Amino acid sequence: MPVNCIDDKVVRVDAEAKARGEAKYASDLSFPDMLYARLIRSDIPRGTIDEISVPELPEGYYFITAKDIPENGRNELWMIAKDWRCFADGDVRYVGETIGLLAGPDRNMLDYLESRIEIRYTEREAAITIDDALAVKGGPIVGEDNVLCSLFCEKGEKMQSIMDRADSVFTETLETGFQEHVHLETNGAVITMENGKYVIYISAQCPFYVRKSVAGLLGLTPEDIIVRQTTTGGAFGGKEHFPDVLAGPLLVAESVIRKPIKLIFTREEDMLFSVKRHPSKVTYRTALDKEGNILGIDGTIYYNCGAYLSSSYVVLQRGVFHANGVYDFPATYLKGVGVATNTFPSDAFRGFGAPQTLFAIETHLDHIARKFGFDPAEYKSRYFIKKDGETVTNGHIVEDVKLPEMMKKIADASDYFRKVKEYGIGSGKGIGMSFYNHGGAFTGNGEQAIIKAHARLVKTGDRVRIEVGSTEMGQGFQTSLRKIVANALNIDMDQVDYDNPDTSLVPDSGPTAASRSTMVVGKIAENCALEMKARWNEGDFSVEKEYEHPDGHPWDQATFRGDAYLGYGWGAACVEVDVDKVTNEVKTTGIWTCHDIGHAIDELIVHGQVNGGVIQSLGYASMEKMENRKGHFRQSSMSDYVIPTSMDFPHQEWFLVDNPYQWGPQGAKGMGELVFNGADAAYVDAVERALGITVTKIPIPPEDIEEALENA
Amino acid sequence: MGVNYVPETLEEALLLRKAEKAVPLAGGTDIMVQHRRGLGLAPQPDFPVMIISGLNELRGIKKLDDGSVEIGALSTAAEIAASELVPWHVRKAASGMGAISLRNSATIGGNIGNGSPKGDLPQPLILLDAEVVLLSFDGERRMLLDEFIIGAKKTALRDDEIIKSVIIPPHEFTYSYYRKIGMRRANAISKLSLSAACTVKDGVISDFRASSGAAGPKVIRSREAESMITRKPVAELEDIVPDFLAAWDHAISPHAMPKYRRNTTARMLTEFLEAVINGAEPGIIGQEAL
Repeated sequence: MPVNCIDDKVVRVDAEAKARGEAKYASDLSFPDMLYARLIRSDIPRGTIDEISVPELPEGYYFITAKDIPENGRNELWMIAKDWRCFADGDVRYVGETIGLLAGPDRNMLDYLESRIEIRYTEREAAITIDDALAVKGGPIVGEDNVLCSLFCEKGEKMQSIMDRADSVFTETLETGFQEHVHLETNGAVITMENGKYVIYISAQCPFYVRKSVAGLLGLTPEDIIVRQTTTGGAFGGKEHFPDVLAGPLLVAESVIRKPIKLIFTREEDMLFSVKRHPSKVTYRTALDKEGNILGIDGTIYYNCGAYLSSSYVVLQRGVFHANGVYDFPATYLKGVGVATNTFPSDAFRGFGAPQTLFAIETHLDHIARKFGFDPAEYKSRYFIKKDGETVTNGHIVEDVKLPEMMKKIADASDYFRKVKEYGIGSGKGIGMSFYNHGGAFTGNGEQAIIKAHARLVKTGDRVRIEVGSTEMGQGFQTSLRKIVANALNIDMDQVDYDNPDTSLVPDSGPTAASRSTMVVGKIAENCALEMKARWNEGDFSVEKEYEHPDGHPWDQATFRGDAYLGYGWGAACVEVDVDKVTNEVKTTGIWTCHDIGHAIDELIVHGQVNGGVIQSLGYASMEKMENRKGHFRQSSMSDYVIPTSMDFPHQEWFLVDNPYQWGPQGAKGMGELVFNGADAAYVDAVERALGITVTKIPIPPEDIEEALENA
Repeated sequence: MGVNYVPETLEEALLLRKAEKAVPLAGGTDIMVQHRRGLGLAPQPDFPVMIISGLNELRGIKKLDDGSVEIGALSTAAEIAASELVPWHVRKAASGMGAISLRNSATIGGNIGNGSPKGDLPQPLILLDAEVVLLSFDGERRMLLDEFIIGAKKTALRDDEIIKSVIIPPHEFTYSYYRKIGMRRANAISKLSLSAACTVKDGVISDFRASSGAAGPKVIRSREAESMITRKPVAELEDIVPDFLAAWDHAISPHAMPKYRRNTTARMLTEFLEAVINGAEPGIIGQEAL
């Protein structure tokens, strides 16, 4: 279908191959003489390795460990920090830490050999929860106090003087649990050699991250390694840094074995031995006057980072910068602390730290409103931040904030105010509303100081090839970027090519993360296209451009002051429930959302993102329970860790407000994470009202509702 | 490591069962999952397996002369859910078992033989006093399903027997009740389930029964608690309910989430009994009929 108008809805370019089963995933790849690999992992959360006993290996079988890293290599995976080891060496810090890689031609034999490997440990007391970490249970994992990272930001009058003159201080602690990504395709990679170079085929969001992360293992430079993204069946952040944990051992193994090696996780491995969303514990102390007006909020935010820092400091920053929600309070003091525990390292997950604090602030404000007899939505709306309003980092909102209009849209569509009155508190029926935002692109100065993204367009005849490192992972980017480029060039989408990236062929456009692809990479590609259009008659040529930072966004990374983000997406969600008082089963009877994502590049893709993000958020609030006992995750399959099906939530009514963003392609802002960030709080608000309970921790499956009922 | 067999006749299957102790596999939805070994590797139970899905003698749902219904061991959940011969409680449970693909392969014989307290079918079958017909080379025997399932994953099946069928005696309930609370609204294992049924004749409760799933090591029926209600006039029921609920609570023994499972079981029984007390329209209480 030839399309070039940005507002035409198109069929996704990847839809047909995926629906027909023709798309090739990592597990579909096969090479001559290929070996299979299994990771041998720690089965205790903390201790020293006394002995690794490996049975005699048949010819052609290998057991690769830290000892196989060459002298000029370093046993570290370079994510944002470099602390995550490729192979545990001497000690283990969490259940599932890679100790070795077993490789060989026959999977039956590997299964047998794996069962014969015995590892003896001297176990140490482990710290699993945030409280364990703060109590330095079993002795510190890092430093003296288990603090991996911390920061604070301050706005307005000093908190102590506000607390002193407050009529009351409302203190509350809110918690969120682990969340598993459950991407449809499990993690997987294949490594091989091509013309003397290492080539890694991998299901990943960020091919350039992979080569940077693992090159140092062999003392190589990133350019020495080629990474080719394979069609990626979902990621949600779970394939942002985590693929490095597969690629690292594979690279070391390849340096020894020199044959193609394939490593594909089973679902059980993917559940038990992969990164999760950071559990959080947020304590707010809110200073109030007699009428219930907020004078200031003091917040302390703890994130459970697991055993290694990885990207947690950036996750924590985003958590802190969103801990104030969409509001402009006179004063805030927000402190974030990331603690080390003996759990699988926590890492990126759609929202990247923002959902935890947004849930906390929304629910906290709902509780204050109810305490003072106000409607929570109305109460919260008094504090909506506006254009030029001061953020918690002393920066300013540069765009029009359309929250009042968005609130009206969903309040009218849901008949919120009538239902609030009719249902009251404790009737079994409830309706709740939440507001949220998401800072677009990298936090702070990441885009201009660290990433410096490039994009390239190559014209051959009347065809144009997009060359970027950005990946399709199910979110629709191969379609939307083609659309942006075709539109700018005024050619048909069918004339534009965009393949899964190969790091040796395309420039680094930065990670496919942080809701930055459309907003940042889309803009660079659009700029390339505009130049290409002006030079269209010059024959075959290419245009490559670097990210240009828009003026007027001051930021000081040392003090965390200034504009933490270039712009925000905004959201409002309303959820209505009918709770069965016999069984505590919650039936969601209505979902209404309104989002400001600038201008939509493709409404069908946006619709998919809204539907998926909202349901994922409702799953997070209601049923997705991942427990960790003594360092072991308890849920290991899709039948004990459940995610919602289409039966669980009804048809969603969704709205967009058009608010073109000055620096985005066609006025677009980021939206992939925004749509995850807030429906959870609306759901909890609705359930609380339906049953007259107070919820301070998600998820709330029926058995947790029972607890809340007992405490009501 | 076990050997696999594919018997072509029932007789051959019984011989294999006797000689090799081969474990019957039909839909495979439990054995294949329990013994999975990872990608590219076939499940490998440490016992011999015989695939019996081709044995047509074990198929079919039919009405017997005495009004009982016999369900062949190879009947799938989908077939049971679709059969008008099958009593409501069992159809309801079958229709909410797993996902469509599972319902098309999982069999009643397997669901019973697996002996899980969370299994969907044993719970209503035990309510209905269903019997299981066991077949061996030496003959046939029948026993109450409630006695056949001994505990979590434990049954009275002898190692030379296979499950032939399930027989559900006839009944005429005035009121019926079935609830399954899954971890989500579809394609979910039971978090808790309850069936109840009651027959009222001339103001007297002539039959009352209940069964609790996922509330102990096996499906729980307490004849002792039931007898507190049976043969009592409806008018006296209200006074009996507190003691009955206490007796039922004593009978169940949920390990995980005990508070939720105990309180919810009590609330479900209360919901059902209140409908009886209030003289509700005969039929299904608490939710819509099939």
